[in-house]
Amino acid sequence: MSAVETGHASQSVMEQVGPNIIHHVSNSDISHPLYHIPPLFGIDFSVTKHVLMLWIVAFLVGIAVITPVRKFLSSNKTTPSGWMNGIEAIVQFIRDSIVKPNVGPKWVMTWTPLVLTFFFFILFANGIGMIPIFDVLGAFNRFVLDVPASDSHNMINNILHGGVTATGNFNVTAGLATITFFSIMVAGTMAHGFINHWKNLAPHGLAWPVYIILIPIELMGLFVKPFALTMRLAANMTGGHIALLALLSLMAIFGEMFHSTIAGVGVAFVAIPIAVAISALEIIVVLVQAYVFTLLTSVFVGMAINVHH
Amino acid sequence: MEATVFVPIGLGLTVIGAGLGIGRFAAAAAEGIARQPEAADKITGAVNLPLFLLEGVAILAEVFIFLMLIL
Repeated sequence: MSAVETGHASQSVMEQVGPNIIHHVSNSDISHPLYHIPPLFGIDFSVTKHVLMLWIVAFLVGIAVITPVRKFLSSNKTTPSGWMNGIEAIVQFIRDSIVKPNVGPKWVMTWTPLVLTFFFFILFANGIGMIPIFDVLGAFNRFVLDVPASDSHNMINNILHGGVTATGNFNVTAGLATITFFSIMVAGTMAHGFINHWKNLAPHGLAWPVYIILIPIELMGLFVKPFALTMRLAANMTGGHIALLALLSLMAIFGEMFHSTIAGVGVAFVAIPIAVAISALEIIVVLVQAYVFTLLTSVFVGMAINVHH
Repeated sequence: MEATVFVPIGLGLTVIGAGLGIGRFAAAAAEGIARQPEAADKITGAVNLPLFLLEGVAILAEVFIFLMLIL
């Protein structure tokens, strides 16, 4: 990680570490987008790092999932082979173990495509965050091509602004959770009709004073569900990366505290194995968070369809 | 003393609470599976959802603590 070299030389290491960690997990600075587009209707449409990552993820999902599935469906084979075999296993797992128990057999085929889209998109976006492609590019740029970090016209230096995990951005996950929010309503409306869906929010046949408390709680719950989805995914993806970077920064911090390179190198023998272990944990988190988002989406959709008060 | 000094204590309390909760989940699930190994799939499925809801609350607390510290 080039965390230490990018700051200003006049500051101490301790002052640089915090901003550098934030810089590594957050989106590119709005004043330094990769490609500047003038605001349209008051919204800034500039291409930032996370927008680029979203496009890369969409492209990868396209070639890794959509194309093989289309190819398999248009061929007349009944059993898949190779890569498609793996995709089928995942698709079947999600349909039979996540969507079916929650949504019920009647609506499985309506909601499985949405849930599968969520799963593959989040899995790829999370997974790419664990691959330090841009950091490797930056190191190559710095040490092989000898481009200084201050050169703001260099393309690779511009790419280095901000982190690579698009799902670590609260706006991206809020967008995904908004889709969940509306699909909950669409599911309830399709299953029970518009009026009945809203009536189903609170259980029937209670004493009237209960409703004074219950209806505001249920209305709040309507918004808390997607909010919790947003926070869970983004915070999990950001948190792991912060932990990794903080551990790696210990080398620089110790090196400065004791004014010797040996202290930094010595700490590296402890910090790097722990960082490797956290990376391994992060790989599990990548899978689990994609699973959790799909599971909770299908649970919420199922709650709107199968009302059991 | 500044109020933000106490914020990390809150983070510690959150971790204690979430740890106790997850520990109880794991213990109960392991016990259940030990008694009825054939019900392992069902038990895992039933444990998953509340586990993630608990984790969500813990993560929310951590995000708010983080926001309190930087804002």
